[in-house]
Amino acid sequence: MLSNPDFVAFALTIRLSLTTIVILIIIGTPIAWWLSQTKSKWRSVIEALIALPLVLPPTVLGFYMLLTLSPDGVIGASLAALGLPSLAFTFSGLVLGSVIYSLPFVVQPLQNAFSSIGQRSLEAAFILGAGPLDRFISVVLPLSKMGYLTAIVLGFAHTMGEFGVVLMIGGNIPGQTQVLSIAIYDHVESLQYGAAHSLSATLLLLSFAVLLMVYSLNKRVRLLGRA
Amino acid sequence: MINIQVNLQNVSFHLEANFSVAETGVTGIFGPSGSGKTSLLRVIAGLEPQALGLVQIGKAVWQDETSYLPIPQRQMGMVFQEPSLFPHLTVAENLRYGMNRTKRTSQSIEFSSMCELLDLEILLERNPQTLSGGEKQRVAIARALLASPQLLLLDEPLSALDQSARGKLLNYLEKVFQITDIPVFYVSHSSEEIARLADNLILMDGGQVSAFGPIDDVLSRIDSPLIELDEAFSVLECEVKAHDLPHLTTIQSVGGKILLIPEIQRAITSKLRLQIRARDVSLCLTEPSNSSILNIIEAKVTEISQVKQGARTIKLDIAGENLMAKVSDYSSTQLNLHPGQEVFAQIKSVALVG
Repeated sequence: MLSNPDFVAFALTIRLSLTTIVILIIIGTPIAWWLSQTKSKWRSVIEALIALPLVLPPTVLGFYMLLTLSPDGVIGASLAALGLPSLAFTFSGLVLGSVIYSLPFVVQPLQNAFSSIGQRSLEAAFILGAGPLDRFISVVLPLSKMGYLTAIVLGFAHTMGEFGVVLMIGGNIPGQTQVLSIAIYDHVESLQYGAAHSLSATLLLLSFAVLLMVYSLNKRVRLLGRA
Repeated sequence: MINIQVNLQNVSFHLEANFSVAETGVTGIFGPSGSGKTSLLRVIAGLEPQALGLVQIGKAVWQDETSYLPIPQRQMGMVFQEPSLFPHLTVAENLRYGMNRTKRTSQSIEFSSMCELLDLEILLERNPQTLSGGEKQRVAIARALLASPQLLLLDEPLSALDQSARGKLLNYLEKVFQITDIPVFYVSHSSEEIARLADNLILMDGGQVSAFGPIDDVLSRIDSPLIELDEAFSVLECEVKAHDLPHLTTIQSVGGKILLIPEIQRAITSKLRLQIRARDVSLCLTEPSNSSILNIIEAKVTEISQVKQGARTIKLDIAGENLMAKVSDYSSTQLNLHPGQEVFAQIKSVALVG
């Protein structure tokens, strides 16, 4: 069904989305936890910064990332000074872009899940002798299962569908930076509607299946009353 | 001793509490709402990190000028007004949560005996969401005690319950307090609960501790802050004597005074506690005859308070025990009340609290 280059683009997209979501969960958890607990005046500033990718055209984000990653940019120059290769037009660059681009889709569901855990439960765990990490594992994580599922699915799906950022910082190198959305765009540009169809339909069905799974799980969890 | 000298300054509230109480028994913390009772408990627990001062439980210093023991390392139990069970764990898992995080050597209460004491056996496999309010609080109390705390903090544990659940939980609390020697701080705005459970009393008003000490000492202080709140009362320990009068039970106070109360189903010689409000006690110079009031007992005036809101509080001695009475300043002058005087105290009503 999928031609070989299309399959490569597909596999690359999955790899990018998986890498991105793993990194996002690791860095998103402490950020979301801090946001849910802090009384700091900086909270709104950080929240606004994280939410930026929701409203900015992806091309704006991609443009500024391209500038910072380029050999003259802040990140690019420091990498070059350390003797490391440039990130622009590489898979690592794509991962970095995706992490920033999809951050709100992971942080916000986690923050909501953490905030909805009653302050009393958290205080009770402390008083019963659980240290911060113990409490996070034994109380916070089990009570945030749905938040994590939502965060993983939204973060993953959002990365799968990104286009503007990739176009700006990744370009269109097959096997390296040519992801699904770019491949579809290519097919349409060159009037290969059939190939564009197979890729688009695959993406459409996959996304629908994943979302359907999340919503039905979510419902069952709510019925059990153990959200 | 438990020594507390703490200070908490919030935007809208200032708490300043300095007191020492014995490291045994139940210490009631009583005062109007907004007087800082809950804040005081939270400061002792370490839940208000801005609080400054000293928190010392026996030999253990939880907080002083230079040190601050993190909450998980403070050996304490706490039960909040609203239940705080972990919704993702069963009752049994909730009960073991604190127990499993306590050193085996310092565990003082066995799991099975605690479940038996609080009738939790049939609830063990249930989810907290399926429990009634009273059952949830019972589990919360057992969970706190199973962590073998040095101090148990109870913040109005009955306030979210209806009247009948409240009565049941009070019975359970009484049983628990009898078998354990863990000191308890019990916050309440119900003088009945305090009269029933407390051995020591801390009175709070406007963020300050206004009096503290053994309950009888605090209640019988002629300048007790309770007087201004019209909440002054006395507690009498009594024993059931006889059931020979229709619809009445005869009881005797520790000092030997005989009282009659509405009939109760309790065995002869069983102990009970009476709460008598000062405003329910009036005084006569001669023994009234043909009165409908059941309890008229001889008493001796020991102290008379200043006039407050047109009334004076009279401290009476009834066979070695203290009884507070509230009379108008006018009557006090008319009767020429003075210390050492023999009078008759008419007790309009008593509340059986334990």
